[in-house]
Amino acid sequence: MKVSQNWLKKYVDFKFTPEQLTEKLTMLGLEVESYEDLAKKYKNFVVGEVLARAKHPNADRLSICKVNTGTTVQNVVCGAPNVAAGQKVVVALIGANIPHNQHDPEGKPFIIERAKIREVESNGMICSEVELGLGKDASGILVLDEKAKAGTSLANYLGQTDVVYEIGITPNRADCLSHIGVAREIGLLVNKKLKMPKTVLRESTTAAAKFAKIEIFDKEKCPRYSARVLRNAKIGPSPKWLQDLLTSVGVRPINNVVDVTNYVLMETGHPLHAFDYDTLVGHKIIVKTAQDGEKFITLDGKERTLTSETLMICDAEKPIAVAGVMGGANTEITDTTTNILIESAYFDPRSIRRTSKYLGLSTEASYRFERGTDINITVLAANRAAQIIQELSGGELLRGALDAYPKKQKPLIVKARVSRINSIIGISLKKAQIVSLLKQIDVAAKSSSKDEILVTVPSFRNDLLEEIDIIEEVARVYGYNNIETKTHASIDFSSNVRTDLLQDEIRDYIIGLGFNEVLAIGLQDEATMSIAGKPLVKAINPVSAEMAALRTSLVPSALRIVKHNRNHGVRDLRLFEIGNIYLLNVDKTPNTLDAYYEEERLLLVLSGQNAPVSYGSASRDVDVLDLKGEVTALLSKFCLDNYRFIYYDNQESLCEPCIGIEINGAYAGFFGRVRIQIADKLDIDEAVFVCELKIRAIYDGWARDRKFSSLPKFPGVMRDLAFTIEAALPQKSVEDVIRKVGQPLCTNVVLFDMYSGQQTGIEKKSLAYALEFQSPDHTLTDTEIDNVLKKIIEAVQRQCNGVLRS
Amino acid sequence: MLDKIEHTKQVFITELQKVVTLQDLEQVRIKFLARSGEIAVLFEGMKTAAISEKPALGKALNELRQCTQAQFDEKKSSLEQTAKPKEVPFDLTLPGRPKPIGTKHPVVQVMEEMKRIFISMGFSVETGPDIESDYYNFGALNFAPDHPARDMQDTIFIADKILLRTHTSPVQIRVMEKQQPPVRAIMPGWAYRNEATSARSLVAFHQIEGLYVDHGVTFSELKGTLVAFAKQFYGSSIKYRFRPSFFPFTEPSAEMDITCFICGGKGCRVCKHSGWLEVLGSGMVHPHVFQAVGYDPEKYSGYAFGMGIERTAMLRYNIDDIRILYENDVRFLKQF
Repeated sequence: MKVSQNWLKKYVDFKFTPEQLTEKLTMLGLEVESYEDLAKKYKNFVVGEVLARAKHPNADRLSICKVNTGTTVQNVVCGAPNVAAGQKVVVALIGANIPHNQHDPEGKPFIIERAKIREVESNGMICSEVELGLGKDASGILVLDEKAKAGTSLANYLGQTDVVYEIGITPNRADCLSHIGVAREIGLLVNKKLKMPKTVLRESTTAAAKFAKIEIFDKEKCPRYSARVLRNAKIGPSPKWLQDLLTSVGVRPINNVVDVTNYVLMETGHPLHAFDYDTLVGHKIIVKTAQDGEKFITLDGKERTLTSETLMICDAEKPIAVAGVMGGANTEITDTTTNILIESAYFDPRSIRRTSKYLGLSTEASYRFERGTDINITVLAANRAAQIIQELSGGELLRGALDAYPKKQKPLIVKARVSRINSIIGISLKKAQIVSLLKQIDVAAKSSSKDEILVTVPSFRNDLLEEIDIIEEVARVYGYNNIETKTHASIDFSSNVRTDLLQDEIRDYIIGLGFNEVLAIGLQDEATMSIAGKPLVKAINPVSAEMAALRTSLVPSALRIVKHNRNHGVRDLRLFEIGNIYLLNVDKTPNTLDAYYEEERLLLVLSGQNAPVSYGSASRDVDVLDLKGEVTALLSKFCLDNYRFIYYDNQESLCEPCIGIEINGAYAGFFGRVRIQIADKLDIDEAVFVCELKIRAIYDGWARDRKFSSLPKFPGVMRDLAFTIEAALPQKSVEDVIRKVGQPLCTNVVLFDMYSGQQTGIEKKSLAYALEFQSPDHTLTDTEIDNVLKKIIEAVQRQCNGVLRS
Repeated sequence: MLDKIEHTKQVFITELQKVVTLQDLEQVRIKFLARSGEIAVLFEGMKTAAISEKPALGKALNELRQCTQAQFDEKKSSLEQTAKPKEVPFDLTLPGRPKPIGTKHPVVQVMEEMKRIFISMGFSVETGPDIESDYYNFGALNFAPDHPARDMQDTIFIADKILLRTHTSPVQIRVMEKQQPPVRAIMPGWAYRNEATSARSLVAFHQIEGLYVDHGVTFSELKGTLVAFAKQFYGSSIKYRFRPSFFPFTEPSAEMDITCFICGGKGCRVCKHSGWLEVLGSGMVHPHVFQAVGYDPEKYSGYAFGMGIERTAMLRYNIDDIRILYENDVRFLKQF
C-alpha cells in the first residue's frame, strides 16, 4: 500500500527522515518495502535573487552574478543571455545533481563543484528549464515568479516535498490499510495522540429518511449499512490538492464525488460507494443475495454471473452493486448526476472474500472488507465524505444519516494473564507496565484480578481476538529487540534421530565416485513424465504446461538434463540425484491422501565417454558394465552381499537391456541402457545408462552394524582355470558352479578373460577364471587344491558342457 | 702353494687398480676368475697337494676367490655407473591419469550446513510428504477458511483439498501428532507455489522448518537459538534484528534480518537499499496449532521458524538467477 508522508502529517506530527521512518515502521511490523523522496532530486537547488550582474573580465559571453541564496550572497558565473539583476532564479549550489547537461550530446547528469571559470570563482550555477528537467527551453535561464523568496528550496517552491512509502501490510493488520491507521502506529513512535479529522456538517432541514430507505435481508453478510443523501451537487473534476494526493498514492482521479469516496477510503480505510440517486428505482436500498446464474454488469463494463452466495446491493427492482466489491454500471456517478447516495457499510469478511475469489475481482474495497473493516465508523466515514463532497460540489446535504444496524455489536473483551504474557515472551513486566504499553496503541486495558487484565478491543483492531493476540501486541510495543536473547539449557538429545543420515552417506559416497549431483523440480511436463508409463499425479491448476505433472520416475527428468547438457556441448556425464517420485493409486478417491504415494529414489546416469581425453589412459564410450560396476560398488558398500541382480526381459521397462536389483529378497530398482526409442523421443542420439534405486530398500539392507571378522592366518593360493563353453551360455552359470563346488576352500572367483573368435569358433567362447584357495586353519597343500580343482572341472563339464583349456 | 695364492692376490689387486674400462675389466676376469682362469688353475692344483695341506689350502683358496670376486664386482658396478649412458629423466609434468570429480548440488550444500548447525544444537531431522491435504497445509496451521492469509501462498492443487505443500510447516503438525513434547526438530524439504517462473522465483524451492516445544519455551529463547544459528552460519560478527510479522501458525511472529553481507549494511541492490537481508520467519507456536495436535497450550509453549534455501545459496555463491539452480548444467554444477 502506498502512503503519502504529507498526508500522514495531517494526523500526527513527526520529524523522522524517510530512512528513520522506514526503519521504525518496519520494526513495528509495517514493512516499508521502498520509498520515493520527491524532494531528493531537488536537493541543493534553491531560489536565488540576482542582486547584480557584471561582465566577466576574460569572456565576452559570460557574466558574473551576485546571487542572494537566502543565507549568503554567492558569486555565480553565468553564460545565459537573459540573466539580469532583480530576477528570481533557480540556483544549483555546490553538490547539486543537474539532471540534464544541455551541453552534453547525451545530456548526462553532472554534479556542481566549486570551480574557477576563466579565473573567476563560481559557487554554483543558474539553471535553465532543460537542466532542471522541468521543460524544454534551453535558450536561457529559468526566471521564476517575482514573489518567490530567495533561499526557498526548489522542492518547496514547486510543491514537490512529499515522500511516498510502499508498505507491505500483513493480512492481520487491516487497521493499517489507511493513512489514519499508519499514523496511529507513528503516534506510538512519537508518543502522541492522533489528530482526527473534524467533521462539521451543514445539513439542510429536509430529512434524508424521507428520500431513501434501507432494508437488509441478509443480516449475516451485512450487519450494518449506512448512507447519506446529497442533492443538487455539481459533478466536475476535483481540485488540484485532491487530485495530487490521490495520484501520489496511485489512485486515478475521476470526479469530485468518486475522488472523495476514494479519499475517505485512503484516509480511514473504510470503503464507500456513491450511487446516482436518481437511478435507484423506488429510492430504496435492499441488501440481499443474488439468484444463481443472475447476470450483472459491473462498473468496469464486464458482465458477471452471480451465485446465491453473492451479496448484492439492489434497488426496488434490480441489483445495483456487488456488495463490497464493485458498483454497477447502471447506477454510477456521471457528469449529469445531481443527486447522490453515499453507501458506507460493513460486510462480513468471509462473504466478500468468497465473492471476490469467485468473480476473480479484487478491488481496493474488497481488499479491505475481506480483511475486516471497522463496523463502528460507517456513519463517520459517510459523514466525512458528505462534508467534503458538499464543499467541492456545492450540493445540499439532507439531514441525518441513514443507518440500518439491526444488531449492535458490543466491544470484545479479552482476558489476558500477566504471567502468561511474561512466560511466552520471556520477560518480566508488571501489570501496570502492560496496561500502559497497550494504551500506546489505543487499546484500553484494566486490572481485573491479581494476575489478569481485561482488554477492551477497539473496533478497528479486529485481529485481537484472544490472549495470544494481546501477548503479541505487548511484545510488539515492548520492542522485539528489547527482548533478551537467551537459550534454554535443558537440551535433550534422547530424541535426536536422523532419518536422513543414509541419504547423506549415499550422497557423499557417490560424490566420491566422481558423480555430479543434480536436483530437478518434481513438477515436469506431462509428455516427458508419461514416458515412465505410470498414472501421473497432475496439478489441476498448473503454473504452466512445463510444470504440470509430478515425476513417477527420476529417469525422464534426467533425460531432459542429459539433453540440456548435450545441447551445451557437454556429452560425458556422470550424474546422480536423490529425489522423490509420486505415484497415484487410481483405485482410491483422489481427494484423500491415501491415493498418493511418495518414495525417495536414487538415480545414477552415465553417458558419453568413460574418461576425458588424456595422456596415459584411453577413453571409450561407457557401457552397461561401467554402470554395473558403479552399482555393484554402491550396493557392496552399503548392503554388503545382501543384494542380487536379476536378469530378465522386461518389455515395460525404460531400459533395454534392463537388470533388476533385489535387496534382501525385495525389489529395489533397476539399471540398464535407456531404450533407444525413448532416447529418440527426447532427441538424444547417444547411449544413456541409468540406475534407479529405492532409498528405502538400501536403508533396509543397510549393514550399519559391522562386526570384525579375524583376518586369515594362512596364505591364500591362486590358481587359474579356463573353459570353453557355448557362446550363448552366460558366464554366471560357470561362475556359480565353480563357487558352489569349490566350497569351502575356494574363497574367491574372478573372471579375468573372455575370448570368442578364431581359436574357439564364434559359436564357442573361452572363459578364464582366477580362483583363490584359502583355509582358516592350515596352509593348503597342492594335493588338497588339486582335488578341489578336479571336482570343479568335472562339474563344469557336466553342468555347463565346459571343456577345460590347457 | 700358499705363497702362490698370496702372489696371485697381489697381482690381481695391482691389475684391477689399472683397469679403466669395462673391456679391461673383462680381460682381468678372463685372466683370474674365468673357468680356466688363474684361480681355477690354483683350485686344480689343490688336487695334487698333500692331504695334510688341503684344509689350509682350501681355506686360503676360498678366501682368495671371495675376495677377488667381491673386488671385481665392486669395480664392475662402479665402472657401470660411470659408463652408463645418461638416462632421460622421467617427465614429472605429465598429467596424472584423470579421475572424475564429484560435486554436491549448491542447494544441498547450503541445506547440509544448516542441518549440521541445528543438529549440533540437539535438533532431530524429520520429513513429510510433498503431496499434502488442505488440513495439514492450512487448517491445522490456523489458516481459517476464506481468510486472506491464504493469499500469501498461492497453491497448486492436485485434487479437491489435496495440494502440493506451500511450505514445510505441515511437517510440524505431523511430527507433533506422532510425538509428545519435548519436540525439537528441523524439517527440510521442497515446497511449491503457484508462481510464474522468473529470475527471482520458481514454482518449487526448498525450506528448512524448525520446531521446539517444551515446558517454558519463550520468545526470548527463540531469539537466542536463531541468533546462535545465524552467527554460526553467517559469521559471528553479523548484526541482526527481529521485527514483527504475521504467520497464522505463530504468534507473536517475527522476521529476522541480518546486516546485508554484500554491502555491509550500507545499502545495495541485493538488500533493496535497506542494508538488511531477511533470512527467516519465526514465531511462538499459536495455541490453535497446539489444540489441533492435542497438545495443551497451557502446559507447553514452543517456537517455530522457517527459511528458504535457494535465496541463501544465491547470496552465498553470487548467483543472480534462481533458474540456473535447476537447469543442472554440468558446467554450473562443477563449480561447486
